[in-house]
Amino acid sequence: MMTSKTLAKIDPAVLIAFGCIVLLLGIGSIAKPGFLSAAYLVQQLQTASFLGIIASGVMLVMLMGQIDLSIPWVIAMGGMMATGAEGILGHTLGQPLAIPFGICCGLLAGLVNGVGVAYLRAPSMIFTLGMNAVAQGLMVWHTGGFAPQDAATPLMVALASGHLIPDVPNPLLIWIVLGGVIVWMLTRSRLGRQIYAIGNKERAVFLSGVDSRKVTVLVFAISGACAAAGGVLLSGWASRSYQAMGDPYLLPTIAAIVLGGTNVLGGRGSYLGTIAGVILITLLQSILSVLQPQDYFAQLGVKLPDDVFRQVVFGLVIIVMMMLYGRERVIR
Amino acid sequence: MSERAPGPLLRVEGVSKHYGGVRALEDVQFACRAGSIHALLGENGAGKSTFIKILSGVVQPDTGKIELGGRPMAFATPGEASAAGVSCIFQELSLLPDLSVADNICITAPPRRFGLIDKAGQRRLASEMLARIGGEDIHPDAPVGELPLSRQQMVEIAKALARNPKVLILDEATSALTAGDVAKVFALLKRLREEGMAIIYISHRMNEIAELADDCTVFRNGRYIETFRAGTKTDNEIVEMMIGREYSSAFPPLGDTMRAGSPALSVKNLSWAGELKDITLSVSPGEVVGLGGLDGQGQRQFLLALFGALIGVGGEIEIAGKPVKIGSPKQAKSPELGLALIPEDRKNEGLMLPMTVRENLSFAALDTVSRFGRVDRAKENELIDEIVRRLAIKADGVDGPVAALSGGNQQKVVIGKWLMTRPRIVLLNDPTRGIDVGTKQEIYQLLRQLAAEGTAILFYSTDYDELIGCCDRVAVFYDGTITRMLQGAELTEHNLVGAALNIGTPATEQKEAAL
Repeated sequence: MMTSKTLAKIDPAVLIAFGCIVLLLGIGSIAKPGFLSAAYLVQQLQTASFLGIIASGVMLVMLMGQIDLSIPWVIAMGGMMATGAEGILGHTLGQPLAIPFGICCGLLAGLVNGVGVAYLRAPSMIFTLGMNAVAQGLMVWHTGGFAPQDAATPLMVALASGHLIPDVPNPLLIWIVLGGVIVWMLTRSRLGRQIYAIGNKERAVFLSGVDSRKVTVLVFAISGACAAAGGVLLSGWASRSYQAMGDPYLLPTIAAIVLGGTNVLGGRGSYLGTIAGVILITLLQSILSVLQPQDYFAQLGVKLPDDVFRQVVFGLVIIVMMMLYGRERVIR
Repeated sequence: MSERAPGPLLRVEGVSKHYGGVRALEDVQFACRAGSIHALLGENGAGKSTFIKILSGVVQPDTGKIELGGRPMAFATPGEASAAGVSCIFQELSLLPDLSVADNICITAPPRRFGLIDKAGQRRLASEMLARIGGEDIHPDAPVGELPLSRQQMVEIAKALARNPKVLILDEATSALTAGDVAKVFALLKRLREEGMAIIYISHRMNEIAELADDCTVFRNGRYIETFRAGTKTDNEIVEMMIGREYSSAFPPLGDTMRAGSPALSVKNLSWAGELKDITLSVSPGEVVGLGGLDGQGQRQFLLALFGALIGVGGEIEIAGKPVKIGSPKQAKSPELGLALIPEDRKNEGLMLPMTVRENLSFAALDTVSRFGRVDRAKENELIDEIVRRLAIKADGVDGPVAALSGGNQQKVVIGKWLMTRPRIVLLNDPTRGIDVGTKQEIYQLLRQLAAEGTAILFYSTDYDELIGCCDRVAVFYDGTITRMLQGAELTEHNLVGAALNIGTPATEQKEAAL
């Protein structure tokens, strides 16, 4: 009785996403015996953490019915500013402040996004896309003007690849903590209520005497900070930062959030769904590279470079999943 | 005219229409002759708009029949009605602002050549139509959105005529026109009457009806009352027919005395963007002041301006004797000012429909139930319980979506949401529209109760009964300003309607006669 009631309260999209995860794991273990090891699963969760941290902020933006397309280069900005902090702030400050500096740069970019959307009333799709180009330009200038420091600090490396708790990778730990904070915020705090309310009916929010513009700015700033934090961790993981390090993250981030049941028009969605979406996308990418489906097609005479094929299949799978989701929503 | 059959061109019998549980029309009959202008009269909400929506195929009647030229008709869409010869000019314009005048006029059946729209032919037809109605100054290639409102209305009339209707319906079509245009349109309507067209004319301006109409029909509360030849009744008799004699005694008694002392809210020379002009008004604590008048005379904007939702409001506002500037709804609801606005459109302005009753109820008062950004569930529950009990909100728990409640209960949630902020001044924008009678009475009682507790209330309603039953005084709006303040014995339906139409009252007529 209890469980059926709890299940009924969960968005069907979240259930579908978890169902797809189980399905993918099933396909993997049938195609490759020994695929389902604990080590493999932990590794997948670690990879998912980077995406999960980045998606956390974007999800909040999407709950308000907006979008943040500036994440690819805000990720790169976070990574490159953190590794380059020593060159910018000097040796004594740069070393310890590397991580906060990187995150603050992302926060600033998000702040500008928020002001543009909330106060200048620019459509977020265009404004954040513009911010993406601006961040790209700034980063190219940063690497071109002088030889930047691109090596990650030891702390960054430790955060990205160490284990504070045995067998639990640090990024996963960070994702769990961040996720906990966001779940609390969405379900228990005033800000959470306001975010959902703005996504549902901004006019009613305004006439309820709530400053929706302030909330919008804050949420875009959080999104920028989360993307930059993701960039910091990614450069720690790779031990260095590089241009375009955020490019592969735009589609997976938005796809994960939408597959997790967050309404693209805002107002509806749970963080549990986003977790499911992130894991689903990560598993999909992993299985595409483990199973090498291009080999089967090569036998049929369709020859494509491996990465091209993976990209195409990944994109197609996401499109097909979206169509299934769209249909489900119409029926309800 | 002589070759036509003697019977009416358009005959309607036994038409009823309900929206949900709300009766819009009940067993209505109507008939109009070819070659005549037939005025349709009634108060706001008398069912005139629904009636012409049925005639023009926008909505379908639940029961009843419509005959056009002796043949039964049932219009499923406005397109069908238009093809059968019924054209309507609605109160709200139906033009596409980004298209040209010619495109708009010919939109239903553009002239074609080789399957493509014949631009030259379309321009010719548009010019012809414009010339016919006396709008030669309008260029057929001008985008409609760039024309002033009065020119747009002329385009709307040309568009209706381009379909060569047998029956032309004008719903408050002259309200946006300049005096010169009105004269041109009247001349045109008289010419069309000579040509044998049947014209149904809806207007709140009695002088227009006296000038144009051959026959008049009065609706009241969704019912047909009477049809008579124009000129056989006086203005006063017509107004009496419009308001009827039925009186509902659904209202709680008024407070015994008006409180003295400094006003809770005092407004001097308030104006906004040409839609509000020099409004001066004050409300005492414990007083319910109604805003009356025809729909759309600035009452809504006045309430929004007081609530800080409009930019560029001029004039002075004092609250509890202190001059204040209200820059935003956030400021307006602050404990220092203590304002609350129950908005007109509860689905878009009052509620977040998919969210829960709880989330909606506590939304405006979130600041008072949270500490350091955390919502205090215990405190929230306490306040919500109190409100749910006080307003008798019928809901299956407070954690279901507010969309699942009935209209009346949804409105109670909107009101409850604002009572949670403990306001000292409550602004209500037509709060009983589309709500069942039971809930209406509960809302009236609540208003008197709030007033008894010392709350100052401004109450806009399109329902005159409500204004008379609930309010200590009623400020009648006309064209963005207060033209009359009715109170005590003066506060009658007759005076309200008269003041709303801005026609002289018996009292002033007598004065004028004495002079």
